[in-house]
Amino acid sequence: MKILTTVKKVVDVELNIHLENGAIVEKGLQYVINAWDENAVEAAVQLKENNGAETTLVSVGGGDNTDMIRKCYAMGIENGIHIEDPALVDAGSSVFAKVLQKVFENGDYDLVITGKQAQDTDSGQTGIMLAEALSIPCVSNVISIEVIDDQNIKVSRLGDAGTEIVEIELPAVVTVSDSINEPRLPAMRGIMMAKKKKIQVMDLAALGTSAEEVCGSTPKSKIIEFMASQSRQAGQKFEGDAAEITAKVVDLLANEAKVL
Amino acid sequence: MAKVLVIADIKQGVLKGSTTELLSKARAMGAETAVVAIGSNIESLTADLAAAGSDTQYIADDPGLELFSAGPYASCVVDAAKQFEADMIWFGFSESGKASAPRVAAQLEAACATEIIEVEMEGDTIQVVRPAIANKVLQRIQVNTRQLVAVIRAGAFEADPDITGTENVVALAAPPADVKAVIKELVLDASGEVDLADADIVISVGRGAKDQAGVDLVKELAAELEAGFGSSRAMVDSGLMAHNKQVGQTGKIVAPTLYMAMGISGAIQHLAGMSGSKTILAVNKDPEAPIFNVADYGIVGDLFEVTPILREEIKKIRS
Repeated sequence: MKILTTVKKVVDVELNIHLENGAIVEKGLQYVINAWDENAVEAAVQLKENNGAETTLVSVGGGDNTDMIRKCYAMGIENGIHIEDPALVDAGSSVFAKVLQKVFENGDYDLVITGKQAQDTDSGQTGIMLAEALSIPCVSNVISIEVIDDQNIKVSRLGDAGTEIVEIELPAVVTVSDSINEPRLPAMRGIMMAKKKKIQVMDLAALGTSAEEVCGSTPKSKIIEFMASQSRQAGQKFEGDAAEITAKVVDLLANEAKVL
Repeated sequence: MAKVLVIADIKQGVLKGSTTELLSKARAMGAETAVVAIGSNIESLTADLAAAGSDTQYIADDPGLELFSAGPYASCVVDAAKQFEADMIWFGFSESGKASAPRVAAQLEAACATEIIEVEMEGDTIQVVRPAIANKVLQRIQVNTRQLVAVIRAGAFEADPDITGTENVVALAAPPADVKAVIKELVLDASGEVDLADADIVISVGRGAKDQAGVDLVKELAAELEAGFGSSRAMVDSGLMAHNKQVGQTGKIVAPTLYMAMGISGAIQHLAGMSGSKTILAVNKDPEAPIFNVADYGIVGDLFEVTPILREEIKKIRS
């Protein structure tokens, strides 16, 4: 089985974000691998270990992704592809999906595993749109993957009313929730080995496509402004005798906030 | 006049309140409204769908649609969107909506935006606002296509209590089943539990509960208040709470009237899932816990001590 996982480099959400003139101030930002993509990488490596598979990761855009890709190598991914092109600077989900479609078509993959969303946008569209572009099945928000045979897998997905058990014919795309696994910490030996491994870097032309083909003439939508979020203010905090302060707060909930 | 198609949020045969919220917003924008309802044995919902504020009801009612499957579900929405000539297609905040919206957008070659908290229309120009980077910023997005597919965040719009609609039913043909992704089974969440997605009160439990006894203590409070019972990530990881209970950026996003965070420190990922709540009460032993930065009311104390008192005091004030 050939597995393709996608990884995105995203802003570290733990740090403060500063805005200036409707844009995010780049200075002081740090970037990390999207946490859900780390779950996707772990899922791919586990399938390789348990069932035998060839694993490849692809990252699209984001500049120099060497550290992130090496980390995935150290976790057990075998091949890495990085697509970088000036046309991809403001790429959104539908553009990513078209680039990934090309990568998929060049590689004869059986299964694509992506994180269910990226921490920087929380959009959750790319994997699903990739499957649409390829006309292959897709199941999102997956919390377990089981191989049935070369052509079929069984997954469970967190749905609205409960856990949905779905059998999927390959090739297919699954997008994974962070509930699927706990990504491993790479061992020192893996980290050392990863340093020697090559990363295949390509632009859109080398991928066999063009800016026009993947981006179209105008983007379907465009971020025109970043704004401060309506952050909540700290309210009233009470310390002291538990019985007294709890009674006070219940009174406020009922008579001030009127929510009881 | 703009045309807005809202996807009806139906759970276990019941039409959920989020459908009225979305239709109320569409009407307030002066749009013509339609709703598409997808499921099996849902003909009895027609009157509810009209009363929720729609002018036209597209109904896909077929035994094959009993269990959610994103492919057929999206086909029904695309069918209705084409018949209605919708300018905007709005999904409520649900796993089925999140799974279907990108498919619908891809098939219609429309723009797609998720987690939307505001929609503005001026002439033919549509702009939407959505949070990003774990709620730390808002993005304003301009739509350049004729159509927009949007997933609206929980609690973004308010229901108009006086909303009405007209009954005008259009039956949709049953879509072909997805033979390549076949749903074999639906393991239902425990029955009788209050749905986190539309509970008036949500009570979540965090690491401060320590063990099963702590979880049970908070759960009893939730049961008594008929509140949704949620969890922090830590409690899910420790196995004390189920995956589907997790509130946060990675789990469920809730916006109840009252959110009670019991023994939750308030990691940024958790805050991203509940900071849209109207009122927040936090109970935590640590006076420096970040949850207090977003809480309207904070009790510094041990939840083992505070929870029983909270229960008694609420019982007193309600009687």
